Amino acid sequence: MSCEELQEQYGAYALGTLDRSESGELREHLETNCANCVPGVRKALSLVTVLSGGVELKDPPKRLRKRVLALVNPVVVKGNAWQLGWSLAALLAIMLLAVAIPAKKQAEDTARLEQALSVLNDPAAKDVSFGTAEKPARGRVFVSPTKGVVFIAANLPKLDKGRAFELWTIPANGKPVPQGTFQAEADATAVYVRQGALEQPVAVAVSVEPEGGSAQPTTTPFIVSKIGS
Amino acid sequence: MSGQYDEELARRLQRREPQAMADLYDRFGRLTYSVILAIVRDSGVAEDLVQETFLRVWNRAQAFEPGKGALGPWLLAIARNRAIDYIRSVQSRMDRNSYEFDVREHPSLFVDMEREVLNTDHARVIRAALAKLTDNQRKVIELAYYEGLSQSEMAERLGQPLGTVKTWVRSALQLLREDIGQVVSA
Repeated sequence: MSCEELQEQYGAYALGTLDRSESGELREHLETNCANCVPGVRKALSLVTVLSGGVELKDPPKRLRKRVLALVNPVVVKGNAWQLGWSLAALLAIMLLAVAIPAKKQAEDTARLEQALSVLNDPAAKDVSFGTAEKPARGRVFVSPTKGVVFIAANLPKLDKGRAFELWTIPANGKPVPQGTFQAEADATAVYVRQGALEQPVAVAVSVEPEGGSAQPTTTPFIVSKIGS
Repeated sequence: MSGQYDEELARRLQRREPQAMADLYDRFGRLTYSVILAIVRDSGVAEDLVQETFLRVWNRAQAFEPGKGALGPWLLAIARNRAIDYIRSVQSRMDRNSYEFDVREHPSLFVDMEREVLNTDHARVIRAALAKLTDNQRKVIELAYYEGLSQSEMAERLGQPLGTVKTWVRSALQLLREDIGQVVSA
């Protein structure tokens, strides 16, 4: 399609009303930094954005400001984080990790927090807790079919050198799908975030594997939890 | 407030000053919450998505061009995308994925944009322009803006041919551009 033909689509693209098949060509074209189309789409986006100014204004609750600021200025919360809501515990765990590390790593962890938030905020996400007297590793897993997985655990077993934990999602066909490896912190806790769409699992599992990970579990998983429908 | 204020605010966000986040929230928090609430219609969800929106701005501020970019419009585009992404997820309408939103909210698209488009004086102009649309034109704009429906989905919802819906969308945007043009230089 020529720039002239694509011009017809600027408004609908900015508004988000083009179907995926329709928007693909314009999107790819914009990636070439076309001198005609990029300014045209900017103007269309400007028009769509200005429509936001027409909404009826509502006052947000005062606590929302604190929540937003806590994202960049976390404070240590006294008490047992595991007694907090699980979503909050996950966020706190990630934020507290970010306090004690260098700026470059901090940026990575802030990105991880953003990924975790997208999973936790997904209404389609399902979660399951694990941990019993016989199996002391305890925690919770959040699974979003479109956003990814957040895994939070405490009391993880000590690993031998060269070994790592590997997270698995188990779809209805039963064959475990590897979701990446991770290590525990010195206090035997772990917060692991894996972003990306995945087939809705019926269970999640964690096994001990070689550091590079395995295609299928090579040891019996020490965590296996079914996910309710 | 002036564009110069937003420019300095963007630079402070890039320096990762926590107070800049507070100032950003004080400047745009109410409007951001209102836009998201108008779309998701659930105050608890709106709070979560406002939090996600501000975090996204914080994380992506480095890609923003303070001297040229329009901070408010960029933030509000992110807010609307988060809200639409949410309701599409609730309604299992995931044919258009988050990548699409990522492209449409890239900071480079908010360069040289009129920064004062969110001036409260303009709210009356915007509402008046929307009121001048025909019922069908207003309906498709609302379905797109507040529900994130594609033109095909609107055609199905309204029981109208796709071509008719496309005409309504195009003519509505054209009229809005003419009426709000002075505000956005569109």
